[in-house]
Amino acid sequence: MEAILDLASEAPVEKPRIGRLRFGKRVPFQMSVAESQLIARLKERDEQAFNEVVRAHGDKVFSLVYRMIGNRAEAEDLAQEVFVTVFKTVDSFRGESKFSTWLLRIAANHCKNRIKYLSRRRTDGSGLDNISEEKMSDVGRAPLQSHIDGPDVLMEAVELEGLMQKAIATLDEEHRLLIVLRDVEELSYEEIGEVTSLAEGTIKSRLHRARMTIKEYLARRTR
Amino acid sequence: MDHQKASELFSSYLDGELGDAARAEVDQHLAICIQCRTELAEFRKAVGGLGALKQTAPSTFLPQIQRQIFLRSRGRFFGGRWKLLGRIPFEWVSLATIIAMLVYYILHLHGAPTGVRPVP
Repeated sequence: MEAILDLASEAPVEKPRIGRLRFGKRVPFQMSVAESQLIARLKERDEQAFNEVVRAHGDKVFSLVYRMIGNRAEAEDLAQEVFVTVFKTVDSFRGESKFSTWLLRIAANHCKNRIKYLSRRRTDGSGLDNISEEKMSDVGRAPLQSHIDGPDVLMEAVELEGLMQKAIATLDEEHRLLIVLRDVEELSYEEIGEVTSLAEGTIKSRLHRARMTIKEYLARRTR
Repeated sequence: MDHQKASELFSSYLDGELGDAARAEVDQHLAICIQCRTELAEFRKAVGGLGALKQTAPSTFLPQIQRQIFLRSRGRFFGGRWKLLGRIPFEWVSLATIIAMLVYYILHLHGAPTGVRPVP
């Protein structure tokens, strides 16, 4: 299978992970029966199981990738790559963390690699500048716009979303990832720790710095 | 508590992660400091705005992934009606063909009389 699939070389390798701290002892992560059955089917390359995984986690992965990259077309391409990598490397998942966090770790690694690649190509500004136009053609899809009626208010929401995305883009990739995981995707600190392999204290201090940067950016732009 | 200290605690304050004593201290400072109140309001607005940035994947997302896997696996996965045939490894098909040809040769060609009698 691995020999036949010609997949991205940037596929991350599952590192040995330590389970959660409980009563002073490291204990392995306990998967639910349903999840372990799904993973078992996935490891047998069951196509229905794979479809279930994409349906369950597709939005989260796409949202993460889109907010990290800031360009819809790139994000669609990259989010697809994430799931292709999952299909290819699911054998390396040993159930020592939640499947969802393993998946998001793959997505985060793909994002970091793509950001480096795009910055090497010096095209980092091209996607961000087009956000407002892209969003205008996608009216109704974005959560900010979904409950808004008037065109003026819609315009304002689109501008605000573009501004927020630009604020995120001013952060370096590590801080950007933390902001997206915590404030956009609303993961717990424990889950963020599993995705990033950072200690909780480090996550909190970096997240605070990132939030302050975004606050200052927005304050400068809206005054 | 000064501005600097209060500002450092904004994240924990909003996340509800401060202890009672620390929270009360921040509240006391906010009650007398308009600068920190303004900054906290801006901070809250920024963090709250981020929560509205969630996206949903496009409707063509799953079919596009399936197509990617189909192409990269050269039709072994997500190949529709050719799925069963595509799942049989090429090596097994080759081996079965060689064995079948060998059996045919032994039974019908190698052991069969040619009909030509040796010259006495």
